[in-house]
Amino acid sequence: MPVAASAIYFLNLRGDVLINRLYRDDVGGNMVDAFRMHIMQTKELGTCPVRQIGGCSFLYMRISNVYIVIVVSSNANVSCAFKFVVEAVALFKSYFGGTFDEDAIRNNFVLIYELLDEIMDFGYPQNLSPEILKLYITQEGVRSPFSSKPSDKPVPNATLQVTGAVGWRREGLVYKKNEVFLDIVESVNLLMSSKGNVLRCDVTGKILMKCFLSGMPDLKLGLNDKIGLEKEAQLKSRPAKSGKTIELDDVTFHQCVNLTRFNSEKTVSFVPPDGEFELMKYRITEGVNLPFRVLPTIKELGRTRMEINVKVKSVFGAKMFALGVVVKVPVPKQTAKTSFQTTSGKAKYNASIDSLVWKIRKFPGQTEATMSAEVELISTMGEKKLANRPPIQMEFQVPMFTASGLRVRFLKVWEKSGYNTVEWVRYITRAGSYEIRC
Amino acid sequence: MAPTAPSPAKSASPSQPSGKSEVSDLKQQLRQLAGSRAPDADDQRRDVFKRVISCMTAGIDVSAAFGEMVLCSATSDVVLKKMCYLYVGVHARAHPDLALLTINFLQRDCRDQDPTIRGLALRSLCSLRVPNLVEYLVAPLTTGLKDPSAYVRMVASVGAAKLYHISTTTCLDADLPAALKALMLSDSDAQVVANCLHSLLEIWTLEAANSEAAAREIETLYSKPVVFYLLNRIKEFSEWAQCHVLELASKFLPSDNNEIFDIMNLLEDRLQHANGAVVLATIKVFLHLTMSMTDVHQQVYERIKAPLLTLVGAGSPEQSYSVLCHLHLLVMRAPMLFSSDYKSFYCQFSDPSYVKKLKLEMLTAIANESNTYEIVTELCEYAGNVDVPIARESIRAVGKIALQQYDVNAIVDRLLQFLEMDKDYVTAETLVLVKDLLRKYPQWSHDCIAVVGNISSQNIQEPKGKAALIWMLGEYSQDMHDAPYILESLVDNWDEEQSPEVRLHLLTAVMKCFFKRPPETQKALGATLAAGLADTHQDVHDRALFYYRLLQHDPAVAERVVNPPKQAVSVFADTQSSEIKDRIFDEFNSLSVVYQKPSYMFTDKEHRGTFEYSEDLTNLTVGVEAPETVISAQRYQENDNDLLLSTSDKEDNVTRASNGSSTSTYNAPPDLTGPSSLLSSQTPTETALINPGGPTYSAQTNFSLDDLLGLGVPDTPAPPSPPALTLNSKPVLDPGTFQKKWGQLALSLSQECSLSPQGAASLMNPQSLIRHMQSNYIQCIASGGQPPNYKFFFYGQKDGATAFYLVECIVNTASAKAQLKIKADDGTTAQSFSTLFQSALSKFGLS
Repeated sequence: MPVAASAIYFLNLRGDVLINRLYRDDVGGNMVDAFRMHIMQTKELGTCPVRQIGGCSFLYMRISNVYIVIVVSSNANVSCAFKFVVEAVALFKSYFGGTFDEDAIRNNFVLIYELLDEIMDFGYPQNLSPEILKLYITQEGVRSPFSSKPSDKPVPNATLQVTGAVGWRREGLVYKKNEVFLDIVESVNLLMSSKGNVLRCDVTGKILMKCFLSGMPDLKLGLNDKIGLEKEAQLKSRPAKSGKTIELDDVTFHQCVNLTRFNSEKTVSFVPPDGEFELMKYRITEGVNLPFRVLPTIKELGRTRMEINVKVKSVFGAKMFALGVVVKVPVPKQTAKTSFQTTSGKAKYNASIDSLVWKIRKFPGQTEATMSAEVELISTMGEKKLANRPPIQMEFQVPMFTASGLRVRFLKVWEKSGYNTVEWVRYITRAGSYEIRC
Repeated sequence: MAPTAPSPAKSASPSQPSGKSEVSDLKQQLRQLAGSRAPDADDQRRDVFKRVISCMTAGIDVSAAFGEMVLCSATSDVVLKKMCYLYVGVHARAHPDLALLTINFLQRDCRDQDPTIRGLALRSLCSLRVPNLVEYLVAPLTTGLKDPSAYVRMVASVGAAKLYHISTTTCLDADLPAALKALMLSDSDAQVVANCLHSLLEIWTLEAANSEAAAREIETLYSKPVVFYLLNRIKEFSEWAQCHVLELASKFLPSDNNEIFDIMNLLEDRLQHANGAVVLATIKVFLHLTMSMTDVHQQVYERIKAPLLTLVGAGSPEQSYSVLCHLHLLVMRAPMLFSSDYKSFYCQFSDPSYVKKLKLEMLTAIANESNTYEIVTELCEYAGNVDVPIARESIRAVGKIALQQYDVNAIVDRLLQFLEMDKDYVTAETLVLVKDLLRKYPQWSHDCIAVVGNISSQNIQEPKGKAALIWMLGEYSQDMHDAPYILESLVDNWDEEQSPEVRLHLLTAVMKCFFKRPPETQKALGATLAAGLADTHQDVHDRALFYYRLLQHDPAVAERVVNPPKQAVSVFADTQSSEIKDRIFDEFNSLSVVYQKPSYMFTDKEHRGTFEYSEDLTNLTVGVEAPETVISAQRYQENDNDLLLSTSDKEDNVTRASNGSSTSTYNAPPDLTGPSSLLSSQTPTETALINPGGPTYSAQTNFSLDDLLGLGVPDTPAPPSPPALTLNSKPVLDPGTFQKKWGQLALSLSQECSLSPQGAASLMNPQSLIRHMQSNYIQCIASGGQPPNYKFFFYGQKDGATAFYLVECIVNTASAKAQLKIKADDGTTAQSFSTLFQSALSKFGLS
């Protein structure tokens, strides 16, 4: 019986229980003391998110300043439990207006109790879709002052919806203006060796959608991915268009996407949920366009001085620009004094993370910027030279650029009333873990 | 008015001293509001209820207000009702008599017009968990299962399982399982079906232990009609319910290959699901279905690689960790299939260390001829990592790869470079590895020794590293110019050396060095033996004494014992037994994979020890120790350096054992200052030091290693006439009990016996011997190992008695020897069981 949870606790950083719910009797009520004593108050905290104490397993996660702990005594399904926590937090956030922290829990405990009752029964996850739950669990509650006459129509409706076949969309939605927003958000991960070789590089992307569409629309999305294009060419029996095609290593879809149709026709077709959702996620390892090249040179001049020179080149289109570029260059702990020269942006020494932080607000394409820094170190006795420096890390976002080269070819909306829709497509590439060893 | 029974456990939280007065204040307010018909009464009630719940959350005992809460519950406000249900659910168990008061309004709400209220009331009713109220539960549950609203049926179907846990008989007598089954197979709503499935599985699994009917019911759940029915509806289910249906499907036994392919085609698209739990569950189905078809199984691995790697990169670190654990399991099962994906397992600087650790293990496992260079280069990067445990792990990983590979040349160079990094822990770890490498590949000694010789022993603080250096100094003293002098300086600091391990190594190293370079070492040897004999540590003392006597007896013999020609170590001691690995694989997508042990090891009560968590926290140490009772098959987690069974270590053990058996009769030698003079005479004389009653070595001038091993047997006389022992033909012992017994029982016998040469030759895999022993009524519980070393755990049971015999049997097919360790419930018959066991073993391969 792969139960997901026997009990769930929400603790603050001190270990006080903010709220808890025991779903089954197989774990004791004071298990949280064990968690506090043997995980929170030891160095073990953070060493492993799954720990066994006594006969119980603790699966925990920290979200802002709250620990969410799931306790089980059976051989539970770990991935299910973690996913449950993630989804539950997303649900709470959508109820609390986007924040989830200690204060939000304290202010909404009645609501959380209600939700905890609905989303899990006897340790089995039930319905976690905010879309549906919001129909019958509202912050105000369903008011029916003197009797439970069917004056409260949405309720029976909602309970039907809870388990309906198209669980993610309500019928009878009407919008004055039908709009679809589509964002392709990519994060590019890089691990470059000190010699400038790319050790590992991949892109994880997601397509986020925001739909404000009336009725029950059918959407179809076309991308410039290789398989989709080939299949299309094959179906229309004409040669595939030349141009860049993208090979997606792996794709996962929101539950609304008709996977059978994706497998047979390679098109992404779906009836979207109302509002915001994540349509698909993908991963690409081949043919990644790195937006930035980083060329560091670090010289150690004797025991107390270092010369750091970092050159950053932007290799995306000249008309585009990157925003919020941050380059973090690690320096030794015993750094005493630093001085900088930069061609653009500002640099400073941040002692709390032992790094030089160089920030460039706007970085146009096809340009380069350099930072030269001189670092003076406190000479310490017996301290050996740092054999390995932590890597240089970079943060940035480049709008209208995709590291994978993925593009939306079309987005078709079809609804029986035949209204017109306005489609908005945006692209953005962010740095995931962009590390350059030096 | 309901009497508010004073609660015995009225303990307001110390941090909330006002708790008590606040509760009485709340009580007062509730009482005023109870009968109020004012238009804003519900709002006021809400406020008060909220305060009650907030007190409850803060840990204040608000059970005193139970009666008032129930009085106020007569409302049509849903929010109020929910708060009231919550309150009642928390406190009913502690106050069963008061809970009775709530039954009335809950039952009434179960008949409400509004399905939400019906559902909520039913859920609360089932959550009261008060045994004497179960009679009130059956009727609402039965009607609930037939309710027109899916929401109520959904609640009722889980409610049935709750009832089962409160009162098994009530649930079965009401025939709820049958109703659930009917509902599962017919309901139009997927969530109802899923909940019925949960409940049925739970009820029948628990019931199966004492009823055959229940076991049959379980089988029907896993049968084709049910599984196919559920799989065909898979897309209707919520992502969570899909996990459970897939879990069920993974246990389905298909009757032919077509069924397998049907299922796989149907589920193919599930691998693209955004929910990682669904993907993992699907993978489990695929892997388990194709177990019997090797090539398809391999294709499955290829197919699931991409989704798994995506899942690792997506989601929170905790989610990736759970996926990585599963990936780790698969990588360990089929490393070569992942050898081209090695870059996916490179560590990011920002990875948490638990993720890094798993990645390092995977990198080690998938290293082969084609990728070793890249992997080792990457691992070397981590050796300077700021995270010291990870740096250590990565050095060990390099060493492990070196021990796996044939082409170690490049790796040896890397290891030697580590020594130049001049970091304490790096040097220590590297030395241990170089030592192990040399034991496996003595041909590299020349390169290594040149570098190792330059390391100053003063710079090494860690005992393991120091011991490794000393071992090399002793072993290669003929190649290292100043070995005797380094050893001498180490002996000079004998008293400052904290670790007995280092002192033991020092003793042996000086002995070895002495035989290679006698004139230079003689002085050091005398000092070492003197220091060793004066040592407070038992083993050090005993070994010094042993060496001393050995030298006194005959230096030539001593040389043969201490410095025999070394045999390269070719075999690793067994890691986790394949049976345990298979069990973990069976439990794919669960905690077992994360803990890397089968579920019985951490869920069964007996494995956790007797202690119950909820009762006493101070007992925790008992629970923490519980894993210690786990049999040695699990020791694989220990430091890998300990996994190398070297000939020299074996000798050390033996020498210690044989020495130990005689020390008791000896007195400490009166004069220790002149062992060198004694030795220089080169004429062994039987001095008074040698007790004539002790084992006389001279009688066995040409004793071999095997004879020596035989000395390890305690010379307790065998029982005069062992009664004929017959074994139970079908003993039953589950692994859990085995382990427990193994941990509890003392060693009855430890012997070595030999196999027939044919037997040794035919022992190509553990199964052959297991079958043979089974025909002799000796059962195997775990086995493992690689040729030529196998390890088995057997057990037998005396016919007509409850007493078990447990055997650990290590077979070396190269020497056709088996080492037995027997533990018995009834120690007196252990000898006769051993005879029986050995005769069975010796017949192996002859039939």
